[in-house]
Amino acid sequence: MSAAVGLNLAVAGLIQGLLIALAGLAVSLCFAVARFPNAATGDFMTFAAYAGVAAQAWTGSLLAGAASAVLLTAGLAVASYVLVFRNFRGRSLVAPLIASIGLAFLLRSVLTFFVGFDQHSFHVPIARAIVFAGARVRPIDLWLAGTSAVTLLAVLAVLFLTPIGRRMRAVADNPELARASGIRARTVMLTLWTLIGACSAVGGVMLGLQTVVVPEMGWNLLLPAFAAAVLGGVGNPTGAVLAGIALGLVQALSTPLVGFTYQTAISFILLIATLVLRPQGLLGRAEPVR
Amino acid sequence: MQGYLTAVGTVGGIYALLALGLNLQYGFTGLINFGVVAFYAVGAYTSALLALRGVPFVLDFAAAAVLAALFAWPLGVMCLRLRDDYLAIVTLAFAEILRTVIVSEEWLTNGTRGIPGIPRPFSGLGAAAGGFAYLALVLAAMLAGVSLTVRLVGSPFGRLIQAIRDDEDAVRSVGKSPARCKLVVFMIGAGLTGLAGALYAHYLTYISPDQFVPLLTFYVWIAVIMGGAGRVGGAIAGAALLTLFLEGSRFLRDVLPFVSEVQMASLRLAAIGLMLILFTLYRPQGLLGRVAR
Amino acid sequence: MPVRKWMLTRRVLGQAGAATALAAVVGRPARADRPYRIGALNPITGAGSTYGSGMQKTILFALEEVKRAGGVDGRPIEVYAEDTQTSPDAAVLAARKLIDANKVDAIIGTWSSSVSLAVLPITNEANCLLLHTSSAPALSTPAQNPKHLAWRFQAASHQIGDAYAAIAAHEKASRAAAMAFNNDVQIASVGFFRSAWEKAGGKLPNPVVYEPNRTSYAAELQQALSEKPDFLVVSGYVPDTSIILREAYEAGNTAKIVIPGWAMGPATVKALGAEVLEGLIVVDAVPDAGSAAFKTFDAAYRAATGNPGSSNIYAAMCYDMVAVLTLAMQKAGPSADNAAIAQVIPEVANPPGQAVSSFAEGRKLLQAGQKINYEGASGPIDFDERGDVTPVFGVSVFHDGKLEQRYLLK
Repeated sequence: MSAAVGLNLAVAGLIQGLLIALAGLAVSLCFAVARFPNAATGDFMTFAAYAGVAAQAWTGSLLAGAASAVLLTAGLAVASYVLVFRNFRGRSLVAPLIASIGLAFLLRSVLTFFVGFDQHSFHVPIARAIVFAGARVRPIDLWLAGTSAVTLLAVLAVLFLTPIGRRMRAVADNPELARASGIRARTVMLTLWTLIGACSAVGGVMLGLQTVVVPEMGWNLLLPAFAAAVLGGVGNPTGAVLAGIALGLVQALSTPLVGFTYQTAISFILLIATLVLRPQGLLGRAEPVR
Repeated sequence: MQGYLTAVGTVGGIYALLALGLNLQYGFTGLINFGVVAFYAVGAYTSALLALRGVPFVLDFAAAAVLAALFAWPLGVMCLRLRDDYLAIVTLAFAEILRTVIVSEEWLTNGTRGIPGIPRPFSGLGAAAGGFAYLALVLAAMLAGVSLTVRLVGSPFGRLIQAIRDDEDAVRSVGKSPARCKLVVFMIGAGLTGLAGALYAHYLTYISPDQFVPLLTFYVWIAVIMGGAGRVGGAIAGAALLTLFLEGSRFLRDVLPFVSEVQMASLRLAAIGLMLILFTLYRPQGLLGRVAR
Repeated sequence: MPVRKWMLTRRVLGQAGAATALAAVVGRPARADRPYRIGALNPITGAGSTYGSGMQKTILFALEEVKRAGGVDGRPIEVYAEDTQTSPDAAVLAARKLIDANKVDAIIGTWSSSVSLAVLPITNEANCLLLHTSSAPALSTPAQNPKHLAWRFQAASHQIGDAYAAIAAHEKASRAAAMAFNNDVQIASVGFFRSAWEKAGGKLPNPVVYEPNRTSYAAELQQALSEKPDFLVVSGYVPDTSIILREAYEAGNTAKIVIPGWAMGPATVKALGAEVLEGLIVVDAVPDAGSAAFKTFDAAYRAATGNPGSSNIYAAMCYDMVAVLTLAMQKAGPSADNAAIAQVIPEVANPPGQAVSSFAEGRKLLQAGQKINYEGASGPIDFDERGDVTPVFGVSVFHDGKLEQRYLLK
């Protein structure tokens, strides 16, 4: 594998990895604080892509489209919490997981009921790639990479550098103690779901910009997102981000060895191997079993 | 109409068998297995490939169950010391890896083309009688699964695995090995799942990799949770309820004539999603479960 | 949504309710008194969902058109619609429901090969017709289609493969390469391309098989272009093809690229733009020049969906299914069973006969005792002895953002 080929694969892998990281972060945040894997994450992303396409068609601006998508999806996520997930506090993860599957179906079907099954696309200006040390990088890829990196860092910054983030982490670590110390669950959860919605939205728009907007687009990304969340260490958002990027890179760079069909399988094999050798995930702490 | 009802009953019975397997693993032992469809696929392909080489049906079904259980063994050994949530994702990943293998190893599985022309028991009896006979076969398998579950759960071993579900450390403290018990249950559950896969393959007479997707695992989970995890009858009740949701929603159009045919598909999925949410919110213990969980 | 569609539904439902109840009590009455029931079984959800709703709507408006023209003499028609979910097991239950609960006589519009392969044993057993758009060769073998109840309205994979090879020869390709979406249809088509090309003395490296739902195919494209071909077949669907075309352009590709017609949609034409598409070769099964059937279909399709008819070749095939079936029913007479109807399908669709492009035209001529030859919206619709259409492929090239037809492959 020549250096140029390798570099090209790495660039593609990094972009894919950032996408998985966004979705994985959304899953991990929910896992950490609300204690269940949210299977509706994918359909939040799908919703965001559709919203973005519609907003871009209406306003003519991609930026406005993306911003509207983020706002609307954050609202959707908060609504999901208020209407559905709020009621599962304190129960095992299976019940809210099943409810989130139901929510995923509901979201997708409401979308297709009104919008149908046609494929839609964002309007992206086509430009020749910039050649950089033998690697081809599209201008749009730079924007996508930049935006996702900024989003990831912003969410992590909220989590680690702000008071509300501190409270969120307290709830994640020990809900009873957090409640006993007077941390108001409601503000924390509303902020949490806003972040989850925003993260999913950026991921959805990113996915929509790279591919075509179809009803099942987000659902297809659910598995890698779950994998990233667990690989990074359950309840560890930073780990999820790093794991997502790692999964993307591994998938891309393994293709010369294992071929295109096995590249996804490789990342899952890696996941299993890592967990067997290091059960707490990449960055998780060795916790006692709950 | 009875042909359709027989078909629905057959598919419902297969789901019941799947739910029995998962109920044993999750309901009674607390194992969060999200790779149900993997063992299903192993059973289906094993039985199909053997049958096409002339092996008699009884042996095909047996081989399907045994091979599925064997596939569960290394996975169990690796993962059963992991946290519950981890097992979920690992089994999910395993299912996808298996599907990739099925798609890629064409020499064995015919890849994306699938395997048509799988021989079907009772096909000589004609359409209606053959359908009834197959339904009877599936129900017999289901009853065998129920009987196995009841015997197992009522035995000392059964009490042990339920104790593991409720408090693993306590069990360890009295000197028993939870990992070994979990492994056994995992394998038995996988065997039931593999049998269901074989019954499915011979019923459809055609299998292809795109039928073995994670959605099927989710459906089986829905059946177990809705029926009541940890209750033997729960698996049957849940499978019946799931089938009712999935097939009953087909007839929604008769009560909603103003909706176009194309929109019906969306409405069906919406109805199923809404039911799931309402069920988990308002009847979390499932149809037959006790409220204490 | 046009209002008339739900009125059809209501009427059908009224009859359906009564008929089902009656049928359940009495059992199926004699053929001549009973309406002919058609099951529209299409991929509304799942991988085929881009085409499925259009296909189903087309079946419905085509049947409306038949009704407006006076219908089939002595045979009222009812239609029931279901979703295959592009999944064989969902399709099997849907087919069972259509056949057993709704008592349909024909199932039309199954799309994916795995769905058709799963449904075929059921329709054969029930002596129902199956009109489908799937390419798997196994669907028309004597073993799988012994009673000639299954009719294929789409080119079979070997025909598509031969078309690719013919285009390669026409374009004087010296080094060819191929990429295929990882499913049976595309892999088979590219496989047949390879054997046809190699039989003509050409050489083709192993086709690059790529996975669905990825955001980039740069690596796959890199491998396909590694031997510096001057001719590249990309056999896939809209989402992946649009990514590949874009990435090929960005990589500065100079090889001629050929794609099948179904892999190009109006949204992607707009998204990719004239520069990326310049020189792209598109091969499609086409009707003979100036097809009136296509024009009628196109106008109705636009009214029903807002999209041009050219965006959904499978819907055009469904339009032809309705026309062919109803014309065959008309010719076979009011008391004909499916075996008799199947027997006359080639008689109304194949030459010799006066060319007709709609049910209305054909009905008039059939009533006058004349021979007809239906020329459809998706092709000339001439069946071979196995029940497969012999498509005529049209080759078009993108120039200045517009698709221009250049030549036909015969």
